Amino acid sequence: MLKFLLRRFFFLLLTYVIATTIVFILPRAIPGNPLSQILANLSQVAQANPEAIRAAEKALMDQFGVGKPVIVQYVEFVGRALKGDLGTSITYYPRKVVDLIVPVIPWTLILLLPATLTAWWLGNTLGAIAAYRRNTWVDKWVLTTSMVLSQVPYYWLGMILIYLFGVKLGWLPVQGAYSLGTIPSFSLEFFLDALKHYIMPFLSIVISAMGGWAIGMRVMVVYELGSDYAFFSEYLGMSDKRIYKYAFKNSILPQITGLALSLGGVLGGALITEIVFNYPGTGYLLFKALTTLDYPMIQGIFIILIASIYLANFIMDFMYALIDPRIRLGQGE
Amino acid sequence: MFSTMIRPLLKNKKFVFGISIFLIFLLLGILGPTFYKVNPTDSTWDIEQGPSSRHPLGTDTYGRDILAQLLHGIRSSLYIGFLAAIISLIIGTLVGSLSAVKRGITDDILSAFTNIVLTTPSVLIAILIASYLRVRNMEVVALILGLFQWPWYARAIRAQLMSIMSREYVYLSIMAGYSDLKLVIEDLLPTIATYAFMSFVLFINGGIMGEAGLSLIGLGPTQGVSLGLMLQWAVLMDAMRRGLWWWFVPPGVAIVAVTASLMVISTTMDEVFNPRLREE
Repeated sequence: MLKFLLRRFFFLLLTYVIATTIVFILPRAIPGNPLSQILANLSQVAQANPEAIRAAEKALMDQFGVGKPVIVQYVEFVGRALKGDLGTSITYYPRKVVDLIVPVIPWTLILLLPATLTAWWLGNTLGAIAAYRRNTWVDKWVLTTSMVLSQVPYYWLGMILIYLFGVKLGWLPVQGAYSLGTIPSFSLEFFLDALKHYIMPFLSIVISAMGGWAIGMRVMVVYELGSDYAFFSEYLGMSDKRIYKYAFKNSILPQITGLALSLGGVLGGALITEIVFNYPGTGYLLFKALTTLDYPMIQGIFIILIASIYLANFIMDFMYALIDPRIRLGQGE
Repeated sequence: MFSTMIRPLLKNKKFVFGISIFLIFLLLGILGPTFYKVNPTDSTWDIEQGPSSRHPLGTDTYGRDILAQLLHGIRSSLYIGFLAAIISLIIGTLVGSLSAVKRGITDDILSAFTNIVLTTPSVLIAILIASYLRVRNMEVVALILGLFQWPWYARAIRAQLMSIMSREYVYLSIMAGYSDLKLVIEDLLPTIATYAFMSFVLFINGGIMGEAGLSLIGLGPTQGVSLGLMLQWAVLMDAMRRGLWWWFVPPGVAIVAVTASLMVISTTMDEVFNPRLREE
């Protein structure tokens, strides 16, 4: 098991190094050098507040190591990143990128983790139920609904929910993570306010994400129920419930791998959902950075987001190793 | 081919339903803009009006006709989806079949590469690439999306071809002196044709969804109209909070209808051709 985890760790580390190298190379490799464009933009508006903008320009040149050989730039980039310095934001100059990103991360996690896990669990349960009752109305209903739901983008469902429950019915607040004017605190009042704001973004992710899991799980359980051990158990007179349990256990393993692999896509969808809801998370910050071409901020967000996806991947490998007896007992992979 | 492949599909009600919906939208995209000759980017003084006889689906903040945008949007989104799917299919097939045929070090390198791309959060990398490109036409967006969605397909193809490679007829072909290319084209690719087609369909979905996602964060095509761009404009102008449902509902319905119908096509094909899933 340790060997498996070590192998996965080094693989993920290698992949992370490659991904961050891409983050580093892209602005330097793309024709029309976006950096020179920002610098040009900056000097155009330099009259407004010349000193601040010149300082921002210098910080930018420093950070991107303008004029130095690429290798030197890369070493500096890695060295600074390891020390937790992701550069200085242009839009919010002179604030550090890290200081801007860290406060928004909890908001994204609070939304993303419970929503994704709920969707995964609900979807798998529904899919398994559909497979047990194959070709009954339950199965057909679950399959059809899942098929449609799995293709509904999170953010579009979010827009519909905002319109229906926020605007038409007026039941729920239409934007943000808490009411304007309130200051985040650990009081019951704030908690209830935040909860009200949480319902719609949460539901839009859960509802549109669970369809895909249900479809995948249904196929997997159908396969398992059609395999030799299921028939054999049936001939032995084992109760259906017991066989279902085995089938469920065997089918859930690939779904865990699936969850790990889908994280990137799930995160992408959640980031956009944040934008639609004006929810103060990483997605919203990224959106602002993208619209103002704040490249140090964009880079910083990506370095952190990609790292957290790999971290989540590793945690999931760990869970997998715990759950799958073949790995736990050290037989093969 | 008709009796073994097409007829069982046409007997499947779900498949017929899926393909009908898809064809309707395909026709809307191809013929729609030719018959409904309103320019989707022409501003008029009919600002933010609901559906009426003059504008069947209403207008947006600049008085542009939503129906015209929708028809052009369906066309572009399908175009981007198809293009991205073709790119993914080509890369995936090449990588997968090279792995299976060459084995050894080629296979090791390609498999490692596939795994790396598979674990890389492709959505994020796509966002990053798009953010550095000032001008993005439809083809560039399709390319960015197509470059990242092939790994799971390449892996499946590799596994499938590996098992085919140990069949006797393949040995015979190798003994008969077939070149690798001839072997792949004559002996291997036909065995994965159905699977490739099903994956192609899902790649189109990936392309359409990807375009919508990129557009929504402001990184979609910089010219033209697509379903994603329509949604982006609606979000920018806060259409949902201002009750302008005719603006943001149609593009979403089109995305869901097209992708869900393709999904139905793909899953029913699996049901029809895959004996373990076939309904008794």
